[in-house]
Amino acid sequence: MIDRELLPTAGGARVRAELGTLLRPHRGRAALATLALLAGAAVSLLTAPLLGRIVDLVAQGRPAASVHGPVLALAGVALGQGVLAVLGVYLVTRVGETMLATLREGFIAQVLRLPLERIERAGSGDLTSRVTTDVALIGDAVRDAVPQFARSAMIIALTLVGLAVLDWRFMVAALFAAPVQVLAARWYVPRAVPLYRAQRVAGGAQQQQLLDSVGGARTVRAFRLGEDHAARVARRAEDVVTASIAAVRVRTGFLNRLNLAEYVGAAAVLVVGFWLVRSGTASVGTASAAALYFINLFSPINQVLLLLDDVQSAGAALARLVGVLDVADGRGQTEPLQPAQPVDGSVKLTRLGHAYPGGPDVLHDVHLDVAAGSRVALVGASGAGKSTLAKLVAGVHRPTRGSVRIGGVELSEQGAAPARRSVALITQEVHVFAGPLADDLRLAHPDATGEQLRAALATVGALDWAEALPGGLDTVVGGGGHSLTVVQSQQLALARLVLADPPVAVLDEATAEAGSAGARVLDTAALSALVGRTGLMVAHRLTQATTADTVVVLDCGRIVEQGSHDELVAAGGRYAELWAAWHDSR
Amino acid sequence: MVVRPRVLRETVTAQRRELTVASLFLILHQACEAMVPVLVGVLIDRAVRTGDPVQLLIWLVVLGLDFLLLSNGYRIGSRLTYLAEARADQRLRLRITDRVLDPRGGAERSRLPGALVSVATSDTKRVSTLFLALPFGTAALAAVVVAAIALLRISLPLGLLILLGTPPLLYLLRVLGLPLQRRSGPEQERAARAAGVAADLVGGVRVLKGLRAEPAAESRYTVTSQESLAATLRAGRAQAWYQGAVLAANGLFLALIALVGGRLAAAGSISIGDLVAAVGLAQFLLGPLNVFSRVTSALAQARASGDRIADVLTAAPAVAGGELHPASPTPGALRLRGLRAGPLHGLDLTVPAGEILGVATADPSVASALLACLNRETDPDDGELELDGQPLNTLDPAALRGAVVVAAHDAELFAGSLRENVTAAAAPGFDTTPALRAAQAHEVAATLTGGLDAPISEQGSSLSGGQRQRVALARALATDAPVLVLHDPTTALDTVTEARIAAGLRELRLGRTTLVLATSPALLAACDRVVALGADGVTAQGSHATLLHEHAGYRELVLG
Repeated sequence: MIDRELLPTAGGARVRAELGTLLRPHRGRAALATLALLAGAAVSLLTAPLLGRIVDLVAQGRPAASVHGPVLALAGVALGQGVLAVLGVYLVTRVGETMLATLREGFIAQVLRLPLERIERAGSGDLTSRVTTDVALIGDAVRDAVPQFARSAMIIALTLVGLAVLDWRFMVAALFAAPVQVLAARWYVPRAVPLYRAQRVAGGAQQQQLLDSVGGARTVRAFRLGEDHAARVARRAEDVVTASIAAVRVRTGFLNRLNLAEYVGAAAVLVVGFWLVRSGTASVGTASAAALYFINLFSPINQVLLLLDDVQSAGAALARLVGVLDVADGRGQTEPLQPAQPVDGSVKLTRLGHAYPGGPDVLHDVHLDVAAGSRVALVGASGAGKSTLAKLVAGVHRPTRGSVRIGGVELSEQGAAPARRSVALITQEVHVFAGPLADDLRLAHPDATGEQLRAALATVGALDWAEALPGGLDTVVGGGGHSLTVVQSQQLALARLVLADPPVAVLDEATAEAGSAGARVLDTAALSALVGRTGLMVAHRLTQATTADTVVVLDCGRIVEQGSHDELVAAGGRYAELWAAWHDSR
Repeated sequence: MVVRPRVLRETVTAQRRELTVASLFLILHQACEAMVPVLVGVLIDRAVRTGDPVQLLIWLVVLGLDFLLLSNGYRIGSRLTYLAEARADQRLRLRITDRVLDPRGGAERSRLPGALVSVATSDTKRVSTLFLALPFGTAALAAVVVAAIALLRISLPLGLLILLGTPPLLYLLRVLGLPLQRRSGPEQERAARAAGVAADLVGGVRVLKGLRAEPAAESRYTVTSQESLAATLRAGRAQAWYQGAVLAANGLFLALIALVGGRLAAAGSISIGDLVAAVGLAQFLLGPLNVFSRVTSALAQARASGDRIADVLTAAPAVAGGELHPASPTPGALRLRGLRAGPLHGLDLTVPAGEILGVATADPSVASALLACLNRETDPDDGELELDGQPLNTLDPAALRGAVVVAAHDAELFAGSLRENVTAAAAPGFDTTPALRAAQAHEVAATLTGGLDAPISEQGSSLSGGQRQRVALARALATDAPVLVLHDPTTALDTVTEARIAAGLRELRLGRTTLVLATSPALLAACDRVVALGADGVTAQGSHATLLHEHAGYRELVLG
């Protein structure tokens, strides 16, 4: 088997450039958002000096009514803060979410354009985790961490300014906390990031184990594996406990250090206040305001520092998405200047050979001539090269040697544009796209009318059950919806083929989970779907071969027999042996 | 169900001591947090206003001690709390797993496997969240009490204003938040759709590429993504209004406190330090009071989850009774008389010890019903079922499954190496090489990096359908069971491999009771005798070759 070659991850400079590109269309709005948040933070900082003013008025022995002015100002601050927050929060959400939408749309478009070979090489797990976990991580960051981070950072910066306005020495005093915080963060972040990752990994492993053991309970009982599986679950659960405790330890250790910083800063501000009041440089009100300023800084500072690791993991997730954007998608090089149009559905393979990157040859010197409209069955053991041959004909892989001509035109000269598609491949993978059944079918033919959809379903014998679904063709199927049986899902795949209507179809479908009764239903459906086109099918049951015009027997990457079913049975070769084993070997 | 409400109480009482100690430390933390503004007020009064350096030093030391206590209270309290939570979570998960895997079964009845997994993960998580909610809630209560005492000592009217004003303020904020909550549910769902559709398209990328449907998929995704964006922005607008309203309401309340407090201070009823402390306490109180509302909603969720967990733990077993063990060694003769189960109406079948019997049926539900009865996943509705003369329902289910191994066609593989999967159910030290060869699983090993030690991921998802089937078959053969029942073991395999397996299977199981439920001619041809089965029992029997020639229904069934 081929070793996994994960998709690339982008470097820091490339990620920043991509962010810049994403931000460019929203520059104006982003600037406005920053301004609104900044103004909101600035207004909120008026609270402390206003309270200080009240303290001063009281200290000066002014009448009770004199506090009305600052109190009204406080009410104004409250309203101003509210209005600016509405504006700032909304604009930040809007800019962030729009950028995120553009990013994920670009990402999906890119994934769809990647050559299948590249995806296979990376393993689809890699891609799925990027499209789910990484996009979600960035989404969470855009929604929560980034706005909070920005707001808290602004409040911190402006509080320092506010302290400086009261008296520059207050700011200096507040900065006494900074070295402690820097040390705390440098202690925390490198420890927290791997610990949180370990926690997520342990949680995921536990989830998988439960899926395995609880989801497969029947098998566990049938083979008396209960004790073994209980022990496995216990082990995974213990890992989760260990990981969470380690993470909590680091977090509380960090908060401990931040408490120290709070105390150092608060004490410094109070000492400076004491000294300034004693020397007559500042009023008691100013000192009170400075103390309140600093106490109110506790939570934004902790927030910024605790969000550091969220922001960092979102950055890493972004790097993984941007990395995929930069993979060569194979367009351009495959697009010929003047795409040629196949004249019919004939297939001609000449001296075809193939090897997967870094692997041995899996196909040797294959010659095959298939007349338009005829059906070919490929027979052979696993690993004989049937699926590889199917993928080469379908244009999923490019052959190492030799040529594949469809309708007289070399496959690579047809171009990649779907409008000129001449071959479709139905693979072993059963996938029902989540959403209404009709939408699933329309993936193959976006403009199909309801009548066409029903006709396609009727062709493959699926119309009866499709119309009997709770909502007919509008029933939501697939993940999270009405679940279809394996046979129904495969019929759906064949209906898509009918709608896509290519002159050549390659069928490499497995009837594995369908059971033997279902397999026969699918054989019939496949025959109907192939009417009017050239069909190349990988035969999983010999009955599929009996109905084909030509049977091709493959062994170790070579064609060893070729002819009609009757000819091959009469010839008494390998195929005849197989057929005998089916009939009455004993 | 009497047992039901006890899940929550049981879990909590089991860890009473840890919870109490954790709560005490968190109370200490909250009380000291409440003291910070009070102490700052005192320091301003006694030191800053008077200019007395001794007082400054004294109160700085007191403030330092307060910080020391709050910091360590939180550290110890939260570590204990999270440990208790993690342990509770773990304990519940293990109890559920034990119940589900119990040989008598029944826990998964009328539940999809996915739903059961979600009980074992999400519901246990919600119940164990109680372990966070209880100590933190208790501590928040303590904080409110401390703050209340401090406030009332400063000034009765100001204290009452803050204490009586804060709950309505929080209520107002909740009311303001209600439309947001109502909206956010469906809108979050719509927003989450973009992620769901993306994962779905990536999952089906091979299908899309096979049909060259990439542009259709891309434009569909763009539509979904834009719809999601619009929904998120609507929710974002509501969120922005809510946040603005919260800020404004808090600020106005503060202005009110400043008004009353300022007038009281001007009239000389309270000191300046008291005013500073009161303002600080009013801000502080919002935190613990918010914790209360979170605890209430966590409690409601935990109760619903506790009910679901109780349902699983108290589910009736699928099969009752049976203490005896099968004879040892087990000859393996089966006798079925008038068996009724599900779609089966009275099946009579005798399988002599050592026979390899093919069972062909057109109805998959007949096959499933028979399989479930043979290893006591369920007991038949009526009729007799005997193994070597012993009625099956007198046998202990786990002991029975040592003698009768049923390999369902959808049996799962598990995470671990290929070798571990095959040897999992084999006797220790048993040589599994013949089983691997007979199932053609050695061919699977040959194509994987690492061979027999190649890792297999959960549910065998790293293997193709055909590879999975061969490994599962090897596992079944490796049990070397006195009675082995195989259901459709080769449907994902090509005819060449299937023919090899049929031969290998016969060679390996010759002389040992083996039932092969299938319609594959190659497998049936390798059996000593074949019976064709309908809902009403056996419709034809004989050798595969005889049936093929003499029985049109059978020919239709196996050759299509």
